[in-house]
Amino acid sequence: MNFLSLVCVEFKKIRRSKIILIMFIAAVILWIPSIVNARLNFKMDDVGISPENNYMIQGFLGMAWFMFPASMIVGIVLLNQTERGNRGIIKMLSLPVSTVKLCLAKFTVLLSLAAFQVLILTIMYYASAAITSRIQDYNFILPPLFVFKEAGLFFLAAIPMIAVFWLLSVFIQTPVFSIGTGFASIVPSVLMINTKIWFAYPMSYPLFIITYEYGKLADNMEASQPKLIPWIPVAAGITFVCIIISCLCFGQAERK
Amino acid sequence: MNFRSECRKIKRTGFLPAFIAGGFLAGAVPVLNMLFRSANYIKPDVNPVEVLFMANWQTMALLNILLVLEGACILYHTEYTDNAMQRMRTLPFNESGLFINKFLLVLMMCTILVAIEAAAIGFCCEHWFGGTVIHGAAGYMHICIEILESLGYSLLLVLPAALLSLFIASICKNMWVSLGIGVLCIFTATMLPADNFVLSLFPFAMPFQILAGTAPDTVYNFITACIAEIIIILLAEMLFLKARRSFE
Repeated sequence: MNFLSLVCVEFKKIRRSKIILIMFIAAVILWIPSIVNARLNFKMDDVGISPENNYMIQGFLGMAWFMFPASMIVGIVLLNQTERGNRGIIKMLSLPVSTVKLCLAKFTVLLSLAAFQVLILTIMYYASAAITSRIQDYNFILPPLFVFKEAGLFFLAAIPMIAVFWLLSVFIQTPVFSIGTGFASIVPSVLMINTKIWFAYPMSYPLFIITYEYGKLADNMEASQPKLIPWIPVAAGITFVCIIISCLCFGQAERK
Repeated sequence: MNFRSECRKIKRTGFLPAFIAGGFLAGAVPVLNMLFRSANYIKPDVNPVEVLFMANWQTMALLNILLVLEGACILYHTEYTDNAMQRMRTLPFNESGLFINKFLLVLMMCTILVAIEAAAIGFCCEHWFGGTVIHGAAGYMHICIEILESLGYSLLLVLPAALLSLFIASICKNMWVSLGIGVLCIFTATMLPADNFVLSLFPFAMPFQILAGTAPDTVYNFITACIAEIIIILLAEMLFLKARRSFE
């Protein structure tokens, strides 16, 4: 079986799960407080950020710090449960398909879910910005090129984090620990972005990127320029190591 | 259904070590915070417990509530995988008894969790505030009582969230659905404005409340609302199980 058809099979497996619905609700919930508290955007004089930029960045910050990592963990549980329920993984392993390909196909599905969530988030941003513009009588809508660039950066920065979560779920068989470790790793990311070694902690990348963009857009805030030299190699290294180890270990426990 | 068989079910799920590890992780938050930034917090005439709670409780509460959600999901996951639930339903006892026992188990775990956190906060008080802010045996006694009161209050306020997560977990057959809904609820709770009393009564938002430095009236209101929520969720679960039983 070639890789593309394997990915299609993986998508077919989660077709009837309502993950899209849950992601959609998450995006809606994210923007509701922004619409309700839209007036606060005009009181950001001390930070020196324009209301429309503040509106977008605050929403993305909320997403980056908790909702996006948490929904990735939920997505991983979904992928694992469809396999482990009724011992489906045993059937998959008995087929003449390489486990490395199988693992990569699942990871691709996970990345697509992440990309889809960022896309829904961006679309909902436009919907909510349109509503807020109507209510507040002020144009909150930013040019699409800028917003999609931010969303794209956000997604790219999230890839190492997703790889780490995937490794955790492949490596740790007990669901309590793989979910628990994932959740526990989200919480300190707020503290990590303020330290010098933030680049060693993949869970803080999305939040760091959005905070950096916030600093750039605000006149009175210092934007700590990310040093690309330790960051990009470290991030790429972490991603590759995680993917390689998870490919090698995938299905090991079941094959024993 | 007795409580002991519930305890036996969780033996191989890693439930107990997860809660103990979670407790230590949450307990590490104030200790690390004091270790690196104690200069920001130590001032001559402050209330140590209030300072420690103000600085760390949001993170600790988030860890607690994530752990409780995950525990609730796992407890029902063991029932629903491989259709164990169908066998449970054929046995001669009430399905609501199962829910109550699972709730007691979560309550027990939360008590352990809170006890570890109390020890951590007590250690911080003793180590960083002892001698300078806290004086004499009477001072220590007072601090101990204050810590116990604060964490007892937190334990009570986490119960509606625990019950609601168990309720969601008992509805959904797939663990990821209940986990997803729980994560959405927690996220909503973190987005709610803190100064609105009615909104902060949302079960997943209540564990973020702090006892120290809150007006007695507000505390009284929260406790009343908390007990009311516990009763409402329990009743809702009973009704739901009855309804599901008659339709399935």
